[in-house]
Amino acid sequence: MTLPEPASADLSAFRRTPDQVMRLARMGSAHPTRLSFLRVMLARMAAEGWRFDRPLWSLDATGVGRAVYRAIGPVRTYSLVAFAHDLPADQRSDRVIATAWDATFSLFDGVPTKADLDRLQANVPLQEAGRISAQELTLARANRSVRLFDHVVARLAAGLQPDPAEVAAVGYLMRTTAVYGSGKFGAADRARIADRAELTAPFQAEMLTVWLIRQFTVDLVEHLALLRGGAGAVRLNAATRQSLGVGNATGLGMAPFLIRHPVLIHAWMAAREEALARVRAQGAARADAVAGFRAALTEAQDNAALWRTDHPVQSAKLADLRRDLAQIAGWAGGWPEPGQPHPWDALWRRGEKALSLEGQEALLALMLEPHGDLVDDLADHMSANEAAEFRLDGAMTVARLRAILDDHYAWALALDFTQPHTEARFWYVSQEKLEPRIGDRFAEEGAAREQPLCIARLAYSLHRELAHWSADQPVAAFLLAHPEHRQMVRRAQLAPRHPYAEVRDNLLAEAMLPIDLMRCKLALFGASRFDPRSDKWVRISLFQGQPFPEDMPEAPLQ
Amino acid sequence: MTDTSANLSLNEVEQLCLKAARGAGMSWGLAEEAGFAASWLAERGLDGPGSLLRLLEADQPVDRLVMVLAHWRSAGAGSLCPITVGAALCDFALLPEAAMADAGLRVGPVRQGVLLLPFLSVLAALRGRMVRLEWSGGQVVVEGNGAVSGAATLLAEEAAPVDLTLQLAGTDGPAPTCALPPVKAATLAGLNRLALRTTVPPSTLSRRDAGAEVDDND
Repeated sequence: MTLPEPASADLSAFRRTPDQVMRLARMGSAHPTRLSFLRVMLARMAAEGWRFDRPLWSLDATGVGRAVYRAIGPVRTYSLVAFAHDLPADQRSDRVIATAWDATFSLFDGVPTKADLDRLQANVPLQEAGRISAQELTLARANRSVRLFDHVVARLAAGLQPDPAEVAAVGYLMRTTAVYGSGKFGAADRARIADRAELTAPFQAEMLTVWLIRQFTVDLVEHLALLRGGAGAVRLNAATRQSLGVGNATGLGMAPFLIRHPVLIHAWMAAREEALARVRAQGAARADAVAGFRAALTEAQDNAALWRTDHPVQSAKLADLRRDLAQIAGWAGGWPEPGQPHPWDALWRRGEKALSLEGQEALLALMLEPHGDLVDDLADHMSANEAAEFRLDGAMTVARLRAILDDHYAWALALDFTQPHTEARFWYVSQEKLEPRIGDRFAEEGAAREQPLCIARLAYSLHRELAHWSADQPVAAFLLAHPEHRQMVRRAQLAPRHPYAEVRDNLLAEAMLPIDLMRCKLALFGASRFDPRSDKWVRISLFQGQPFPEDMPEAPLQ
Repeated sequence: MTDTSANLSLNEVEQLCLKAARGAGMSWGLAEEAGFAASWLAERGLDGPGSLLRLLEADQPVDRLVMVLAHWRSAGAGSLCPITVGAALCDFALLPEAAMADAGLRVGPVRQGVLLLPFLSVLAALRGRMVRLEWSGGQVVVEGNGAVSGAATLLAEEAAPVDLTLQLAGTDGPAPTCALPPVKAATLAGLNRLALRTTVPPSTLSRRDAGAEVDDND
């Protein structure tokens, strides 16, 4: 990916290096920004005047049935097809190994006919056990937050708004437990839709799916409340409604994605880092941007106050965040000083010295927030043509490949893989619904079927093998003799042009926390309220505080 | 025999074939090439997954590739793996080993020769010329833009390893498109069986350890 050259000065002095950015501890402190994928989608839809409606709502008194929501853009229409089910509590599981859900969904490319709906009804509720087609872009499911869902229905039926404390404690009516796209289970291939302007940015079809699911969850509780309460029932008030997001529960499945898509990860991280560098490089702070920063800071403090977690690691980080945000608020009073050069950079540097990683990454998001005019074009540079980067360069010399490893994989070459704790874990795929898992290499079976996510060790082994080869040999000859290094050579060759492609930490280490990888990816999506339920399992919220379809500015009348 | 074919997306074809190749013992890097090759063929209406499965299920191990002047041959009396040969053709595309002088580059014997075509397209793009593959049964021309013409279907039906010659031809024409063919049920079952070898049987510990430490009925 090539980022557009800024009109102004050289940004290199303001750019963070991959060695700073691509570390697990920092990635595990990531916050959503205005370049997060759901924000990019909402901004586009608002700017283009998308319209929304619900042409079908056919649910019975128990809340079982189907519904269709349409998102009508300037060129194309997409429809969320929703199926609501009656799920016994003993079948409610967020794990991928579940076989039934409270609701199941698919995003249809266009407007479905009755025949389409019937076809989807026979498949979508089965999720992985069904098949969808190239007419569909996503396959998803969600489970109720039993406590809040029942509370909200009961209160609305009784003519009352839900208890704000109950709403705040959960934050969503349903949580999705998987949102599949990109050709999964027969869905349209990414290549088939990637050239559509509205789907070019990452995960736009998935974000649209979740956003329309959010509307469905609100419609469902109001439907059930009306049936139970009759004329006395009320609808959710606007403020409560807006405070509801869609939850998401996710396990390890999300983590391997970051390792398997190095070119894409580079594009995402490079865009975010470029945005930060542009903000820092400004010679002065505009008054409107300073005001926007302060408003965003207040909002972040409110969000941090409402953020709940029982996980010991995240609890400590949350305490850091609240303290750090208060500290930033303290600085903001006297900032910027009159005539201070590069005031945003000065603020950033102060943060780097004084704040925890949570605080620093929150500051990044706050600094981007009032600078839409300066950074929003970077959203157009967050996709990647992975196929175009697949072919490796066989004519490269062994010397050059070694130099790349020395430059970009020093973090891996410094590890000692003769020590058992350095490779204590192994990543694998379980036969149970192909769930990705991580195991203890020395206590569990299955390491012989390890997934190739052990990049540090692969780089380390490649480097050692290359030492036996003469410098001017081509990589092609090396690979003919050593096909087992082919995958790592491919990755290494990407590094010079994609410096943010690699997580620069050992993913096999005993102390590694998979939730750090998940936090980074979820923040890029735009997730907030990160709430780990173990070191491999998290819940988050999407779209909390964001508009609903009916809150969007209307399209101008044609 | 009833054959309920399945409509797989290209992504599914590629991922399934990658896993099956790995399950059958290929290195991860070559398995990626196998996934690329099978889906490339499927995208052009050819049964790449079927050819790959026949390759992976063959009893005889493949021979090592030896490069001598204008001839890539097997080290022994056996035959070559088209994924290994294809990857090497791409890796060596701009090196003397893959030069195609007037008489062309002789290659073989290669199993499931049709699996070479995707790599020849890469080679054609790198060399800026079309590549013509000739064997005793006919010829196929592959372009850098992904177009295939000639006897590709016939090549796919060759049960035995083939000796072939590669030559550079003219420059590209327009790239065609076609519908994705369904994958035969038997092919799908065979690939799934091999792909399963990349997975680990479940245990109580592994099942528990992968989830939340709390119930989801909250």
